[in-house]
Amino acid sequence: MSHMSCNSVLRAAAAGLAATLFVTAELPAVAQDFKGKTLVVGTWGGDIERLLRQNAAEPLEKETGAKVEFVLGGSGDRMARIYAEKSNPTMDVAFVNIYEAPQALKDGVVVAPDPNAPYYKDVWDGMNNGCYAMSLVGLGIAYNKKLVSTPPEWADMWKPEYKGKIGLSSYPGSEGDGILGAAARLAGKDEHDADAAFGKLKELTPIALTYTNLDEIFAMMDAGQVAMAPMISGYVLAALKTHPDIGFSFPKNPGPVLVRDMLCLVKNSPQPELAKKFAALALGVKNQTDYAEQLYFGPTNKNVKLSAKISADVIDTPDEVKALLQLDWPYVIAQRANWTQRWNKEILGQ
Amino acid sequence: MPLPVFLLLPALILSAGVFLAPFLWLASTSFRTQAAGSLLLAEGVSLDNYIRLFADPYFVEVLIRTLAYSLATTLASVLIALPVARFIAVRAGRLKGFLLALMLVPLVSGALLPSLGMLHLMGPLGVVNGIARMLGLPPVKLLGTSAGILIGLVQSFLPLMVLPLVNTLSRLPSDLEQAAASLGAPAIAIWRRVILPLAMPGLVAGSVLVFCASFTSFVTPQILGQGHIAMFGTVAYQQAGQVLDWPFASALAVVALAMIGLLQAVVTLASRFVRRREIRQ
Repeated sequence: MSHMSCNSVLRAAAAGLAATLFVTAELPAVAQDFKGKTLVVGTWGGDIERLLRQNAAEPLEKETGAKVEFVLGGSGDRMARIYAEKSNPTMDVAFVNIYEAPQALKDGVVVAPDPNAPYYKDVWDGMNNGCYAMSLVGLGIAYNKKLVSTPPEWADMWKPEYKGKIGLSSYPGSEGDGILGAAARLAGKDEHDADAAFGKLKELTPIALTYTNLDEIFAMMDAGQVAMAPMISGYVLAALKTHPDIGFSFPKNPGPVLVRDMLCLVKNSPQPELAKKFAALALGVKNQTDYAEQLYFGPTNKNVKLSAKISADVIDTPDEVKALLQLDWPYVIAQRANWTQRWNKEILGQ
Repeated sequence: MPLPVFLLLPALILSAGVFLAPFLWLASTSFRTQAAGSLLLAEGVSLDNYIRLFADPYFVEVLIRTLAYSLATTLASVLIALPVARFIAVRAGRLKGFLLALMLVPLVSGALLPSLGMLHLMGPLGVVNGIARMLGLPPVKLLGTSAGILIGLVQSFLPLMVLPLVNTLSRLPSDLEQAAASLGAPAIAIWRRVILPLAMPGLVAGSVLVFCASFTSFVTPQILGQGHIAMFGTVAYQQAGQVLDWPFASALAVVALAMIGLLQAVVTLASRFVRRREIRQ
């Protein structure tokens, strides 16, 4: 006990001294605490990893002396890992999809978002479902401008001239659940009526292709074989720069389906303090601004201010957020196994 | 403990740790289920996953389809690999090393890159359809069709057939063929009665490799099938990586492994039978 208090007194003294010596934010005394520690962060590779490394990992390493290790892959890989390691976790921070986060919280593998944390309060109200909301993107429609003259509404996908020219993402996933939700609303129901959703979506068959990456679907769009495909804003908008004949539309009736990346703190993880510091940086203004400007991912942090040009392509105003169609994700995830089989058989005709 | 056994220990421990233990875990997971409304495993063991797999015609069809595609890929690979391997083994001379290295390229470049390459080769704006258009021919639909998937599978796994065949064919004494030719055997008879029987070990090894690789392939059917054709690998991926039904995905994996094990057993028995018959003759 005396050892501990002695230590903390020393630490406080050192911190005070450091603070007077270095008025700028970085305190070398704090660095002592996390030297030799490693924070493990699971996320998607590519641009997301690059920005997280630059805006969260590097400042955190400099501030604390800890190492940040990224484990890259799909969110399914991370879910498998944090569930398998439930009793002995090795991952501290896991980025997952909106539909996975509430389930992970319910099953007790992640820590419930802390309403008192500053980074919780900075996020739009009601967004931290299961984990912390990292970015806001909407399911809209990517379309071939030569085949579709004006930015399409959901209902336009059902026009007879586009029969057989609709592409869909692989199922299950946010895109598939989103279009089921939109289809159900076109049929006058919502996602709780699976027969209505599947019945309406089935009218779009035969589906031109199921895509797993943008390269595939854009190649088919450029070739004129796909007129429209429901897609998540963000990457798509960034990729459109190199595809002048492809446009992206945020429909109005119903609005784009809200999709979110979530930042989860893994329960009982080895480095909970580092994980919180990482979360604060990842959810902070700098990182969220870069997400918006470079990836077209809408910020969840209310304090982010974007230029008019970027703001036009990104979901970032309260009105835009209000216009989004929000699905009952806990219900949707509970239907996943059944809906997957219905999708395989009824929509893809496999 | 004698020294040789002792020296084997590190390898045994490594295999047990990184191969056997995960496999046993996978197998045991396949007898579990997820609790309702949860992704956590429920208490107790059951055959539910296996019952579901074999009771749903969808999965049985996928299984049969995957078997058929794997067989077709194996047959096509044999037909293409025989002349190629023969050329590399007998005629290539100094180019042999270079050609073998070329054959290895698809094996070492992973599955995704060649598949994306094939996508652009076979796509509506790809090389094949570009040439067809130049020649005034109608477009060929390859993506999302059985033909497209088969081409992709053969392209991916042909080296697995060629390499063992080159190995066997290189060791065939050339005087056997010369003897057959000098006795007046036409080329077809030499192939059928001399080269093929002696190349059998390579053919069997190559066939097993190509069949197993096709049976468990995922990226090629996923990308080239465009969602129109489900195979075992794509369904297992969907269940494990997207539905997150790990117990059911484990059951699918165990069934795939059992099929491969069964194939191995059949091939081993068959070759033993053939060898015994040869010895008797």
